[in-house]
Amino acid sequence: MGRALILFLALAAGWFLRRFLAGYPRPVPAPRCLTAREWATVAAAADATFPGGGAIPPSSEQAEVAGHVDRFVAAQQPSTRILMRLLFVLVEHATLVFPAGGPGGRRRFSGLSRAQRVEVLDGWRRSALFPRRLVFTSLRAILTMGYLGDPGVLRLLGLAPPEIERRVCEADLLWGRVGEPSSAVRYRREDVTPPGPVAPIAAPVAAHRFDEPAAGAIR
Amino acid sequence: MRVFADYTGDVFDSCDAVVVGSGPGGAVVAHRLATAGKDVVLIEEGPPFTPEDFVVDGAISMARTMREGGLRATRGFVMPTMQANALGGGSLVNSAICVRSPESTLAAWAENYELGRTGRADLDPHYQAVEDFLGIAPTPDEVQGPRNLLFREGCRALGWSSEPIARSVVGCRGSGECFTGCRARAKQSTDISYVPSAIHAGARVLTSARVERLLIWGRRRATGVEGVIVRPFTGEVTHRFRVDAKVVVLAAGCMATPVLLQRSGALADASGQVGRNLQFHPGVAILGIFPDRTEPQFGATQGYQSLHFVPEGFKMETLWAPPGVFAVRLPGFGLDYKANLARIPFCAVFDSISSCNRSLGTVRARRSGLDPVLHWTLHHEDLKILGKAMWAMAQVFFAAGATSILPGVHGLPDEMHSAAEAEVLRTHDYRPTDLTCSGNHVFSTTRMHGDPRRGVVGEDGRCHDFDNLYIADTGILPRSPSVNPMLTLMAIAHRMGGELAARL
Repeated sequence: MGRALILFLALAAGWFLRRFLAGYPRPVPAPRCLTAREWATVAAAADATFPGGGAIPPSSEQAEVAGHVDRFVAAQQPSTRILMRLLFVLVEHATLVFPAGGPGGRRRFSGLSRAQRVEVLDGWRRSALFPRRLVFTSLRAILTMGYLGDPGVLRLLGLAPPEIERRVCEADLLWGRVGEPSSAVRYRREDVTPPGPVAPIAAPVAAHRFDEPAAGAIR
Repeated sequence: MRVFADYTGDVFDSCDAVVVGSGPGGAVVAHRLATAGKDVVLIEEGPPFTPEDFVVDGAISMARTMREGGLRATRGFVMPTMQANALGGGSLVNSAICVRSPESTLAAWAENYELGRTGRADLDPHYQAVEDFLGIAPTPDEVQGPRNLLFREGCRALGWSSEPIARSVVGCRGSGECFTGCRARAKQSTDISYVPSAIHAGARVLTSARVERLLIWGRRRATGVEGVIVRPFTGEVTHRFRVDAKVVVLAAGCMATPVLLQRSGALADASGQVGRNLQFHPGVAILGIFPDRTEPQFGATQGYQSLHFVPEGFKMETLWAPPGVFAVRLPGFGLDYKANLARIPFCAVFDSISSCNRSLGTVRARRSGLDPVLHWTLHHEDLKILGKAMWAMAQVFFAAGATSILPGVHGLPDEMHSAAEAEVLRTHDYRPTDLTCSGNHVFSTTRMHGDPRRGVVGEDGRCHDFDNLYIADTGILPRSPSVNPMLTLMAIAHRMGGELAARL
């Protein structure tokens, strides 16, 4: 009996190590914050969400979605970071409960084929259970902010932020950039922008026609 | 003015009045007191930002300017909500909308909460003073951009009232970047309006200073605050501070002020109302697709509104946000999802904020830290308001020429192609979890009430249980102001600051 228990525990430990810890490639370059396991989950989910081709050609890899998520997680306070990490663990191992179809459907998420990953995520998306949909929505939101945070993707969509000439106001005489001492002010009183009209930032192409265009309205 | 890099050791100070929080409430009170010649210390946990510090990437921007990285959510009915962590508070990252509350709403406050001098006529002089100071004016057509004007077209076609939104901006160029911080320095957030003016009047400002506890003497007197200096973005604690004051004004936001009171020993809570009555304006949004490019990134972030349905409990507005933020509402997956993302340049987004007065919740302190536990549920009767708002926005879209809408409601079609098809938005039997809501505008957690047994503060903002402890954030609004709350809070804070200066 004792020997059987030891054998069972050894097998369970081996299974646990293999399932949860082993076999994750080390990402290059090294992430700021994500572990190799988390990186694999994020990259696999991003690959299923944003495959190459289609209406916006760049893939998740070309848009460096995993790198963006890494920066996003790194920018969080520790308590929030823990919640995000739990989300990634949940997605990675929930295949034990909600497996993909086909052989090996209970493998960890990052080990599934792309078709299986798509099937798994679509299952979360369409689930009648609100918590499952919430997990999907949270994950996809994080990935989408990464994809649409890529300057190349934004340029393709015509959504890249324009250059903006800033006003200088009284406040700019009081403090410098975040992290600098208040003595690091770059502007002097004579730099303050005098009041006056400014030109709106114009849309680059003709847009919708309006019944009553105002003078100077965007066309 | 002290920023994080200026601190070389612990800080001790004393003054007439210490104001905790530099958002729309605290900044106005501090300004009023300072210009009246009072010795004021204004404390803010977040750092001051410059346009060069703003990041247009929505995710990274939220992580830098919001508490909990912008990922805060309620429990019960799960809904994201945000609280800014920066000099200027919420005004740094909102759309600068400044709308007076309707007379009927303030009359209902007076009747239900025993408030005899907070009617529209009482507040109008204070509304006017704030509007004059900030240069608040309706958004001109020149910076509306196509998607805002489409909203106007739709409302006109339906015979529903609409109007350009009054905003606190100077020289807005319609960059649509209000939510990530105004790179043009056009938005008159309190960090570049009231706070500098208060400094010129002699106020001292401590940024990167997190208040952790109120200091109390006896039962009815606050003597100051104490807390820690924290490094921007990481929260690393480096020093301690204490400010002694004759008067303490809490304006830390209606999700943080109750936590401060609870952490300091269940203060000001003889009524049992601290942290209760949590209300939101739940926001629902619809994305509409037009046949021509709308170039939605151009134009005022929120330039047009309709108050047509305010008597029925909701207000409609136009909306723009970083694409990655609102794309959460788009349907699809994989290549289908990418196809929907590719339609963003042809889209407009309309949203509505609803007065859900039956939907209440609580704010409670966690075991550690100042971030709250928020519990809130959406009442089934209020759910009907949201459904009606969804329907109304759909009607505006199709009246404006949209070819389809993406309502983002679980259990309904991902895409609808006609006003007739969208009728289901009005008749559908919604469950709360069918909708993707956001918790805009938070209030009532330290509500104002004429009866000390039923409210935390009186009409002068003073806590009923204290002689010299005041609250000046949206927590004091007794219920929904029916419209965006910033201007009403600023008007009340303007009155409060004036009265307090006369008393000091």
